[in-house]
Amino acid sequence: MTRTTEIYFHPFILMEFRLINDGWRDAYENMAIDEAILIGGTPTLRFYKWRPSAISIGYFQSMEEEVNLKECEKQNIDVVRRITGGGAVYHDSNGEITYSFVCPQEMLPKKIMDIYSLICSSLALGLRYLGLNAEHRGINDIVVNGKKISGSAMTRKYGNVLQHGTLLLIVDVKKMFSLLKVGKEKISDKEIKNVEERVTSVEKEGGVLDEEEIKRALMGGFEEKMHLRFYEGEITQEEISEAKKLREKYESREWNFKR
Amino acid sequence: MKAENGILRGELKVRGGKLIKCRMKVKNGRIEEIKFSGDFFMYPEEKLEELEEMLINIELKKEKILPIIHHFSENVEMVGADADDIVKVIMKTITN
Repeated sequence: MTRTTEIYFHPFILMEFRLINDGWRDAYENMAIDEAILIGGTPTLRFYKWRPSAISIGYFQSMEEEVNLKECEKQNIDVVRRITGGGAVYHDSNGEITYSFVCPQEMLPKKIMDIYSLICSSLALGLRYLGLNAEHRGINDIVVNGKKISGSAMTRKYGNVLQHGTLLLIVDVKKMFSLLKVGKEKISDKEIKNVEERVTSVEKEGGVLDEEEIKRALMGGFEEKMHLRFYEGEITQEEISEAKKLREKYESREWNFKR
Repeated sequence: MKAENGILRGELKVRGGKLIKCRMKVKNGRIEEIKFSGDFFMYPEEKLEELEEMLINIELKKEKILPIIHHFSENVEMVGADADDIVKVIMKTITN
């Protein structure tokens, strides 16, 4: 029997991936759809945005320790726990694009770090097509000129892999800090400046802000690096009804405040 | 000790890795309740809850905790922190 992982890297065999070019949804629906697609396991790349703006926290994080809930309520920011590990992310309705990548486990390497490397370096290649000096760094970050522009998180369940992550288009560090608890001390201007020096965005790096062009470039990175070929698709009825059920979990206090 | 309402807290930033936080209640030198949190990765995720259960009633001694966590780590894959880091954060929480 030929192993799928070997076929995967064969330069002449293309893997068919569904592209879902999604728009804005709220936090609970976005997380429910990602999980519904993960359950089904259809190889998929979905691009989406968040409205209202939201904070997602990693599976192992504590909502109360990470998020300034009062401020979120004041600013109408949703909060949700992901099924993936990693850190807290502020998803601004107009300042970022989120991607999610799903496929059966056997299509990808076995080791988690190898999966991160493959997907993150595909994304970095896509960003380089836009003229940005991007590379995969550390475990799950993509940096441009050494500054973080994208973070990702992954889980493996139901025999499939889900990796999702954010790409910062426009970043407002001050706002981000008002919503996230970065430390016990009130954030000083100096610390904001510090983070501003470590975080960047497509805008700051002088890249195009045309979202369709950015998505095409990212797809190009996947096509080249992982030999994927995309066809335009939709979320299926099955996935929609699965997501409806899952939404209840993501909206529940029990889930969001379990740590 | 940083104890609020009898809850001990500690955290560890893993060099080149992620952050692990620990919250613990202790009674008569044993762990009464323990919760970990942080931005690390663990697969399968639900195993962390099993570890938290396994540590209940365990004596707060490194030699008692160490084998439990090492045994546990054989069945999980961690990224951004490892079994020794979990032991370290527990010890840090006690001695804080």
